[in-house]
Order: sequence, then C-alpha cells, then structure tokens
Amino acid sequence: MRNVFRWWWGILLAFLLLAGLRVFLPLPFANEIIIFSIYTMGCNFLLGRVGFISFGQPAYLAVGAYATAFYLYYFGTNPYIGILLGLLSGVMVSVIVGPFFVRLRSDYFALVNLALAVIVFYLMEKILAGITHGDNGLWFLTQMSSTPVLDLTKPSHFFIFAFLVALALWAFYKYLDDSIYGACCLATKINEDKLKFLGYNNFNIRWLAFVIANTTTALAGALYAVYFGFVSPEITSPARAADPVVVTILGGVGTLYGPIVGAIAYTGMKDLISGYIANWELFIGLLLVFIMLAGEKGIWGTLEPILKKDLFRKRILPGLRGKGDESR
Amino acid sequence: MMDAQLLISGVIFGLSIGSIFFLMAIGLSLCFGLMRIISLDQLLYYSVGAFISYSIFVATGNTWIGMFGGMAAAGLVSFGVERFVYLRIYERDITFTMIASFAILIAGVGAIKYIWGLVPRPAPIPIETQVSILGTAIPVYRLIVIGISFLVYGGIWLFLNRTIIGKAIRAGIEDVEHVEGLGINVYKLFTMTFVIAGTLSGLAGGLHAPLIMVDPQMGLNVLAFVFMVVIIGGLGSIKGTLVSAFLVGQVTSLGSLIYAPLAQMAPFAIMLLILLINLTGLYGSKLLKR
Repeated sequence: MRNVFRWWWGILLAFLLLAGLRVFLPLPFANEIIIFSIYTMGCNFLLGRVGFISFGQPAYLAVGAYATAFYLYYFGTNPYIGILLGLLSGVMVSVIVGPFFVRLRSDYFALVNLALAVIVFYLMEKILAGITHGDNGLWFLTQMSSTPVLDLTKPSHFFIFAFLVALALWAFYKYLDDSIYGACCLATKINEDKLKFLGYNNFNIRWLAFVIANTTTALAGALYAVYFGFVSPEITSPARAADPVVVTILGGVGTLYGPIVGAIAYTGMKDLISGYIANWELFIGLLLVFIMLAGEKGIWGTLEPILKKDLFRKRILPGLRGKGDESR
Repeated sequence: MMDAQLLISGVIFGLSIGSIFFLMAIGLSLCFGLMRIISLDQLLYYSVGAFISYSIFVATGNTWIGMFGGMAAAGLVSFGVERFVYLRIYERDITFTMIASFAILIAGVGAIKYIWGLVPRPAPIPIETQVSILGTAIPVYRLIVIGISFLVYGGIWLFLNRTIIGKAIRAGIEDVEHVEGLGINVYKLFTMTFVIAGTLSGLAGGLHAPLIMVDPQMGLNVLAFVFMVVIIGGLGSIKGTLVSAFLVGQVTSLGSLIYAPLAQMAPFAIMLLILLINLTGLYGSKLLKR
C-alpha cells in the first residue's frame, strides 16, 4: 500500500496543483494549458526518451483534429466518438509512417517530419479544400450533442474530462518510465549498439515509441477540435511547428512534469506579451535562444533537483548518478 | 498530352526555381558538412535578402543595386548571428543547434514583421524582355537566374578545390581535429563558411523576390522545399545539392502542369522514395552517427 502511494503521490500532487489553477485562473486558460501539456508530452517523450527531435508534431495534431472534425461535421454528433476516432487515426497514421521515419538519423528525422507537417498543411488547405473548406475551416460547435454525465459542450465539464485524460496519460508515462521498455527507449538514445548487443530490436522500440508519442499528440488534436468546435489548417502551419519543441525545452527535456510547467509558462507569457506586442514570435524566438545559451535544462529541469534535495530530503548517491540519470 | 511550348516553359520554370533552391540549400549543406550544424536560419537570411533588396529598390529604383544590398545585408546579419550565438554552441549536440537555429528563424521573422509589417509587397522584375526558344517566349530574367546559380556552383567549386582556404574547409569536412592539429584556426573557417552560406541565401532571396511577392512568411513557405532538396541530395554534399535542387525544381514545375496540387506533393513522394532506398539521400555522408 505504501509503495502504491509512493508511486502515485508525485502525479497526484502535481494534478492537485493543476486543479488548484482552475480556481485562480479563467477557465479557457486552464483548458488551454491542459491540452497544450498533452500536446507537448508527445514531443517530450520523443525528444527526452528516444532522442528524436521532431519539428513535425503539428502534422499529427492535425491528423487527430481533422479526424474528429470530419466525424462531427459530416457523420455524427457524439464528441466522445469523435475523440476516439481522432485517437485511432493517430495510431493508424503513426503506424503507417513510422517504419519509414524511425530508420532515419535524428537530423534527417527532424527534417522529414517538418516536411510532413508542411505537406499536411497543403493537403488540408488546398488539395482537400472541398472537404476541409480550406482556410475557412470546419465549424461544428453547435452540431455537437450533449452527452450524459460529462457534457463536453460545456467548457467546465470539458475541463474535468481533459483533466482526467491528462491524469491517466501522466500515470501511463510514469509507468513507461519505470518499465523495462522505458529503459530500452533511453538506451536507444544513449547507446544503441550496446542495446542491440543485449538482444533488443532497436527498430521496434523506436517504432513503438513513435506510435505512443504521436498518438498522444493526435489525442491533443482531437481535444482541441472538440474544445474549440472549429478546425482550420492554421493548426498545422509551419510557423507553429516549433511550439511543442519550445515548450518541451522551456519546461525541461525528458522530465515528467516539464510539459505542464512549460505549458503554463508558455501560454501565460503568450497571453501577457500579446497584450502588449502584436508579434510575439520575436519574443518567443529570443527567449528560446536565451534558454539554449543558458543551458538546456529548462524550468522544471532546474527546479527538480533543488526540490528533491531541499524539500523531500531525497538524495541520489553521487556514485549512482550515471549517464542514464543525466540524460533523463 | 502536353504541347511542346508548355513543356519548354515548364522546364525553364523548373530550372529557375531549382536554381533558387540550390542557392539556399548550398548554405545548409556547407554548414552541415563543416560545422555539423543544421542551420535553419538560412531561411531568415533569405527573407532578409529579399526585404532589403525590396527596400533598396524602393529607395533607388534599381533592382540590381537592391540585390547586392540584400546580399550584403544577409551576410552581415549572418556574421552577427554566428558571432553571438553559434560560436557558443558549436560544441553541442546537433539537435541542440537545430533548435537554436529554429529559434533564430522565428525571432527573425518576428523582427521582419515588426519592421516591414504583414502586407505582402510586389518587387519588380528588372528585365521585362523575353526571348524566343523553339517558338516559346521565355523571360530573360529566369535565364539570368539559372546562369547565376551555375556561376555560383562554379565559383564554389573553384573556391573549394583551387584555394588554400577552400582546401582547408574541405579537409575540415573530413576531419576537423586534424585540421586544428595543423595549426589552422577552424573557428575562422566556420565563420567564413557561415557568412558565405548566409550571403548565398541572401542572394537567393534577392533573386526570388521579383518572381514572388515579398512577405514575412516567405522563409517559412520555401522551408519544406529547401529541406526536401537537402534531404534528397544528402546533407553535406554540394554535388548532391545541385542535382536534387534541379530534380525538385523540375518535379514541382512539371508536376503542376499535369495536376496542379501535385506541385506540393510530388517532391515529398520522391523524397520518401529516395530515403527508402538510401537512408542518407543521394550523396549523403555516412560519417555522422545517429
């Protein structure tokens, strides 16, 4: 029992704080933070655990969002089924493109992903304009029917749903971290030859990681679609391709709570800055350059060791602090 | 199926587009070869080149002066960025520098929006005349663009093969540590390569500006195509970049003649095909581990 509690308490504490945000902050802001942190979690897993940097996350976001939007606009009215379809389409797309992508070197991987994002953008804006209505986007906010228990058409109920989804996801990722599979992922990042020597298949490990991360991203896309009740090609535009990477690094690469911290900081800053300056890209870019020059640990990456040491009296013996721990 | 006139103008259009892609991709390729960085901010120097040449044209009325000004400005900006940012992060991981360069690109686009505003502006074509090739009217300006790109390729080839500095750069592409051991200051080589790359990107921007509208997002618009060129050709190879630039140009141009949306999709299909066969593109180096 004690062990179970020890495993869960970090996540529960983090999400208790997140639920506390709901009291202080306006609802749209809290919703956006939750969706954004789910979006970032996929990128964080790829970058922090498997060592793949991806500038193409908007592509998978769009896959999830458009699958949901198509269902809700043309076929049905139940938002839950829409979200489920978005999730499934994310699995499908990443299973199909995965084998081509994960064989590539990390630098090629990033570039190919970016190219994919641009292709999806053109696909949605021009080629499939008959179905997606091009730049006008699909509006289906009024078409969604109310559901019992948690009514997703109401923002306050949507918050509870997104909150539960995020909680489940974080528990899942924490479970992955503790599992043998999570260790294998880290090992592919650090020393793939050794892992191969131990009898593991690098390709399968990467492929599975790719599918997991991009399904998470697609789920975020589906949540976006249901929350706004509107999808346009804007979500996959190349100008926003850096967002998840920026937030991942801002929060701390490979840390469990980095995405949440990063999402709060990024969304908050965006809201603050866009109140004063119209084009906040300049500021975001400069901020990122500054973070990169200052060292790549990010907010949570810097805070975590301090918290662990001073607050919880949890010490890692210096001898045990290996390369694996550092790269997390 | 397709008449000859349309085909010829399509080929010329593809060649001129390919030339622009080549001028931009060569910078990325050189930077990767020597410094092992993926410098996404070349696209910023492209925008800077286009905007400065537009502004100088508005001030003086001469497009050619504008292009030289754009080149010079792009070179200066790239020099500043190299000194202030890259010099501190060359040692880091390749993904790290890629993120930093993307940050510079985003910041630069923001700065351009701040200075010039969001409205696309038309830059005039310096030479309006057309010549007739096999009965097809071809704008001379496009031919000049193609000529300039071949001149640049020849110049780069001569520079890398016939000068001491060029030979040092080529040696650096093979093994930086040995070059350092010979007493050559590699950081000077890095700066020089980066500025050359930035200047060429600026030239590409200045040349491309009359063919399209000048707007702040222009760098992000060609981003995908430049990456396809670099990926297909293989990072770090100049010959591969030339071949793949013209390949992508032709596929874009001829593809759009057959079916308009193909222009954006066909290069991607070709890229996937080539990566399936060879993981590092046509002429890519296998030097770097994943």
